[in-house]
Amino acid sequence: MVGKYEIKVYNNKVQYKLTIKRNITILQGNSATGKTELIRLISEYEANGASSGITLNCDKKCTVLTSVDWELRLLSLKEHIIFIDETANFIKSKRFAELVKGSDNYFVIVTRDDLSQLPYSVDEIYGLKNASDSQKYKNYKRIYNEMYKLYCFDVRERFDPDVVITEDSNSGHELFRLLYNDKCIAANGKSNIYQCISKAKQKKTLAIVDGAAFGSEIGKIYRYIETSHIKCVLYAPESFEYLLLEAGFVDVPKDMLKKTHQYADSVKYMSWEEYYTDLLFQKTRDTVYKYKKSKLASAYKTETALTKILSVIPNKIIPNNSFNNKRENDEEK
Amino acid sequence: MLRIYYGEPESPKYIFNPDVFFNNTYEEEWITDPLSMKMIKDIDGSEVKGSRLIDSPFLGAIPTERLSGGVKTLILMNFDTEHIFNASACGDNCASWILKIAQNKDITIRLGYLMNFGESRFNIEIVNINKIVHTMKELNEAVLDNQLI
Repeated sequence: MVGKYEIKVYNNKVQYKLTIKRNITILQGNSATGKTELIRLISEYEANGASSGITLNCDKKCTVLTSVDWELRLLSLKEHIIFIDETANFIKSKRFAELVKGSDNYFVIVTRDDLSQLPYSVDEIYGLKNASDSQKYKNYKRIYNEMYKLYCFDVRERFDPDVVITEDSNSGHELFRLLYNDKCIAANGKSNIYQCISKAKQKKTLAIVDGAAFGSEIGKIYRYIETSHIKCVLYAPESFEYLLLEAGFVDVPKDMLKKTHQYADSVKYMSWEEYYTDLLFQKTRDTVYKYKKSKLASAYKTETALTKILSVIPNKIIPNNSFNNKRENDEEK
Repeated sequence: MLRIYYGEPESPKYIFNPDVFFNNTYEEEWITDPLSMKMIKDIDGSEVKGSRLIDSPFLGAIPTERLSGGVKTLILMNFDTEHIFNASACGDNCASWILKIAQNKDITIRLGYLMNFGESRFNIEIVNINKIVHTMKELNEAVLDNQLI
């Protein structure tokens, strides 16, 4: 399933309006913000249609999946937006993750727990907030909507890190090491980011993660940084491959990056990270920029190429001539 | 004392879905208890009109069964100390009430996320590692260092 969908559901008391554009969307936040009420409205509309007194507008069918026969039902659904409440006991199961992979449906899951088996985006975790003083209309507001700015705690100005942690250990790490020199260490996976930040302790730390699939970790990291008062900035572009595509080494129609929801089919890609990786593989296949996850092609390591990469990294965290320094050091050796 | 188990408890006393459990086990006097009424007012913004009727500013007159999952879980914690309730049904706005309930009795709850218990000092025992912590920094670091979630 591809596309971006507006969902409007209301009865005479409450109204919800939300936009769903990836295969996995997470709803969380304070108690009594209306998450369960939203699920109830969709469920009652599904059971009774217009006779429910509820109006639901959406270009795709919306349904609620409960713990009862969930696997059988899920296997039979296609082109649906599937809502799952936190009371469903299967959302952390391996089987559920297996069925989400390759599913021709979008999922909206209410949960405060991390779903480590699912690669959801930091950009698709929402809270529910009243949209008007009258509290009649409600709207969804992202908790983690602008990743870079949102996780720059107490950082309003330029940030020069002492330590740079990259989620990736291969090509991504190789490139960021050229930019940030010996400050750069590899975490070898998203689940190790906390340990790396924790080890850095009081040093100024920049953690670079693949935002498109870091959703299950972001809450923990966010809370840790918040309570430990450490100087840590989280930079979460969609993925390393997205940065290379955005930098313009090869021609890619803008829409494929700016309107990814129109192209990243949930049947083929479990996350946009997979989509960007596949796109980069395809677009660079017969060029000097041929992309491999394990090793970065030399064409990406020239000064011109590194300048292109820097042009898509937020100004506040751009290193000071790091690759020039690195080059000079290498030449001296 | 508040005791927290992080992760998935194996105990038969564990109630994963406190919302449904509440609907089928609550006593009417629980609803008109002063502490319950305060929690319902604070979390849901609702007034208790009687043990069977709640006045919600958003939903109008509703039955007790349509209280929020968070406040139902709080009421269970206060009146049913026999079970371990899944406090992931509660948002951060329930945290101060959980600490308040635990001032008067020992309760054990389950959490699957890093609930924010605020900046004041507290006594919380992390059941998995038998450790007592007093600040959010200690709590979060203990949970994450030991990979409890």
